Amino acid sequence: MFVKRLLIAAALAYLGFLAVLGAAHLIGLKQASAWPPAGRAIAAKDLPKIENNVQQLEKRMSGLPPKGLYIVIDTAENRLFVKNGKEVVRTAVVSCGSGVVLEESGGRQRKWVFDTPRGEFSVKSKITNPYWVKPDWVFIEEGESIPKEVEERIEGGTLGDYALGFGQGYFIHGTLYTRLLGRNVTHGCVRVGDEDLKAIFNAVPIGAKIYIY
Amino acid sequence: MKTTARIAVIILAGLVWAVPAASQDKAGLLEKQNSLKSEYSLAKDSAFYFVLDILGRKLELRVRGMVLRSWEFQSMRFWGRPEFSGNVELVRKTALKAPKRIVIKPGGEDEKIEAAPAPEANASGTGATPGAPQEFELEALELKDMPKKFSLDFDNGLHIKVKTAASGGLLGSMREAWRWYVDLPLRNLFGPHTGAGLSELELTFDNDKDGQSIYWHLFEGIKGIIL
Repeated sequence: MFVKRLLIAAALAYLGFLAVLGAAHLIGLKQASAWPPAGRAIAAKDLPKIENNVQQLEKRMSGLPPKGLYIVIDTAENRLFVKNGKEVVRTAVVSCGSGVVLEESGGRQRKWVFDTPRGEFSVKSKITNPYWVKPDWVFIEEGESIPKEVEERIEGGTLGDYALGFGQGYFIHGTLYTRLLGRNVTHGCVRVGDEDLKAIFNAVPIGAKIYIY
Repeated sequence: MKTTARIAVIILAGLVWAVPAASQDKAGLLEKQNSLKSEYSLAKDSAFYFVLDILGRKLELRVRGMVLRSWEFQSMRFWGRPEFSGNVELVRKTALKAPKRIVIKPGGEDEKIEAAPAPEANASGTGATPGAPQEFELEALELKDMPKKFSLDFDNGLHIKVKTAASGGLLGSMREAWRWYVDLPLRNLFGPHTGAGLSELELTFDNDKDGQSIYWHLFEGIKGIIL
């Protein structure tokens, strides 16, 4: 008798649950039917004003993209594109930041995050046969003491034949490690193969926009 | 007589077809004005923004009105309040398996790993062959380390779940089915009474790389438009 009552109670609870669930689904369907919202009616007298607004906005939007050549860098795919308007002029396989964090254990306890910065930049400098002035993190990473003289920081040949600076010490430059192109291995700079670097250096002027995403 | 009747029928048919088409054009024009206004407010600055076009089934990363990257989604489904379109900001990105940054501490304690913070946003004639980088393990955070399945929470209360067609096994599918067909409808039914109105969108992308690159490129704080 008790078992029978228990079974009836369970069946009723189950049916109740199904009824609530059914109601929930019906409400969901009703909500979904309200999407996409119906367009608002426009009075005939407002039409020229709206057409004018649309034209103005389209004109403003068309003025936003950069004029002439610009560089786009995809840090996830390690690809660099030189573009002119919508046309891709050149594609290069590059190496972007590794995302590794370096922490200084002693001294000033500094911390570096080796990401390629993202955002809108511009070519600030163009250098042939660049020398690398090694920053502090190079010595910390290698477990070496930081030199006091600038001469001890200078290294030639590491950055390839050309470098394009885009601010805050970041460069698009060459590499000795061409087998690592296509991987995220750098300390934030963008490494490019020799042939692509030469073409990019010759084509892109100072002031050209760089979009890194 | 017959010819006149035919012409009259054609004119009438033309009118019947043209009147709704014209009003549709007008409504479309208003929508276009609003979406252009929304986009211009974001595109005039140098920051990246995204455009999620639900009917067009695509998500785009843009800057200054230019499309940097576009992902087409295979399918979508929705539960809850449908008033989610407009300008939004991504407030939180969550994943079960969030990527970890490698931390190097020379001369100190051993290498440790910490949770990765969201990254900050502040052809012809190829020299190298794209798509054939050397495959070996690196001490780095790469695209392949990004999750394929994650959630995005926006400032308007919208919750988007991004997944890829291949993600999830049998157990995962069962959990998903429970969540979608039981949990969400009930939360949607009782949520408004508890002050937690539901608005959940699920986007399914074709391949794993799409999901991973969306996780990589959409950072917390990015603004966008949902159309």
